Formats: sequence, C-alpha cells, structure tokens
Amino acid sequence: MTIRSDEAARMLADVDSVVAKVKQSRIYRSAALIIMLWGAINLARDGLIALAPGWFGPRWFLVDAIGIAGTIAILGYSGAGPGARLPMRTLAAFLLCYAFGWIRADLIGNFSPRQQMAFWPTLFLFGYAVAGLWFGPAFTAIGLGLTALIVAGYLRSGETFALWLAIITGGGFILCGLWMRRA
Amino acid sequence: MDGPDEIIHQPIRLRVMAALTACDPSDEGLDFTRLKGLTGATDGNLGAHLDHLARAGYVEVTKAFVARRPRTTVKASPQGRAAFASHVAFLKAIIAGM
Repeated sequence: MTIRSDEAARMLADVDSVVAKVKQSRIYRSAALIIMLWGAINLARDGLIALAPGWFGPRWFLVDAIGIAGTIAILGYSGAGPGARLPMRTLAAFLLCYAFGWIRADLIGNFSPRQQMAFWPTLFLFGYAVAGLWFGPAFTAIGLGLTALIVAGYLRSGETFALWLAIITGGGFILCGLWMRRA
Repeated sequence: MDGPDEIIHQPIRLRVMAALTACDPSDEGLDFTRLKGLTGATDGNLGAHLDHLARAGYVEVTKAFVARRPRTTVKASPQGRAAFASHVAFLKAIIAGM
C-alpha cells in the first residue's frame, strides 16, 4: 500500500479533529455536572433565604461552600484539565470571583439588594462566557443566554424578580447542564 | 519504519480508533451513538467496522441493558492502542519524508 504525503496529512488532520471532539465532549460532561450542581445549589440557597431570611440571608456563603466543594470534587474525579493542580486553581478562581464581586458590589458600587441579586449570577456567568473562548461555544452560549434572561428579569419583572431569578439560576442552570451533556 | 496498519487505515476505522484512544484507558469507553456522531458513519456501517476491529483484537465491545435499553460500549484494547500509535507514527513519518 502506498500513501502519499498529502493523504497522510489529511488522515492525521482527521485524527486530530476527532480527538479534539472527544476532549471537548469530556470537558462538556464535567461542566454539565457542575452547572446542574449549581442549579440545585442556587435553588437551595434561594429557598432557604426565602424560608429564613434572618438566618440564611447573611450566611448564604454556607450553601455556596457546598457548591464549591462539589465543583472541586467533580473536577478531581473527572481528571479533566492539567493534572491535580486544577482543583486548587478552581478554588482560587472562586475566591477571586467572590473578592472582585465584593469589591465591585459592596465596596465601590454599594449596590441595592435588587442590584446585588442580578449582579452575582451575572458575574459567574461572565466567567462561563469567557471560558467558552477556550473550552467550547456551549459555555459562551450558556453564559450569554442566561445573563440576557437575568438582565431582562431585572429590567422587566418588577416585584417578581426574586422568583424569576430562582427559575433562571435554578431550573435554567439545570436545563443548560442537561443540554450541555448532549452537546 | 513499520508499514501501514491495513485494518486501521480505512477512514471510518481510523476515526473510531482516534476517538477510542483519546479516552483514558481507565474510562469505560464510548457508546455506539457517540461513536456514530464522531465518525459520521451509519448504524450498519459502524457496526461492520467495529466487528472488523473487534476480530483484530483492537477494540472490546460490551453490550448491556441500561434502564431497559440496549447499550453498546466500545473500548480500545491495549493491542489496539499500540497499533493505532504505530499507524499514526507511520503517517507522521511519511509527512516527514522518512
């Protein structure tokens, strides 16, 4: 059998293309689990705050801590990314987001409760939108799509904004995760 | 330099092996539907190629029922991984003009 150089190059390009798709699929699968986890975390946090605003309002971070631990566990289990340093980088990424969010929303912006409610999920969704530039367009689609829905609710939903936000950051995240698993 | 692997050389089988070897050896492999999407093959076509690869000992095909639905999972065997690596090395050598 004789194979020309251009045929060999075409075959190797085919191999690279398939390998890239498989790797992206693995990233999507881990990310889908994480998005669904955060959908459940958001629902739990919003539900607990609605039930006991006095206690859970200032302690929302306790529920988020469960989400962060779950995220690190999923990434550690999936083995996605560049080795064992990924979970620590993920923790650092969360801490940076919370720190920048606090500086922007509390220290500089002095946001109202309604603005705070809209700001925090959009901050993390911005991270998703940017991650899509490296890890696949589904991240960007989810980041931009859910941000658009949150902004629409912020501008249009009036007194029902909390409910709208719970639907988007809870059910919306879970649906996006299910979609991403199949993407 | 070794010659081409006649079994893997066929385009669909090359894609199948590329997809399967991209998975970690400790993973369960890829299911039939996912492989179909990755290779662009039809059901019958992919099934025939998988049979071919399985007969050569390059893949392990597992059929099971999950939630009452049949599920076929395919995994590259160590022999298949070695053959694929050797075939890719052969293709790279052609490009390098060796």
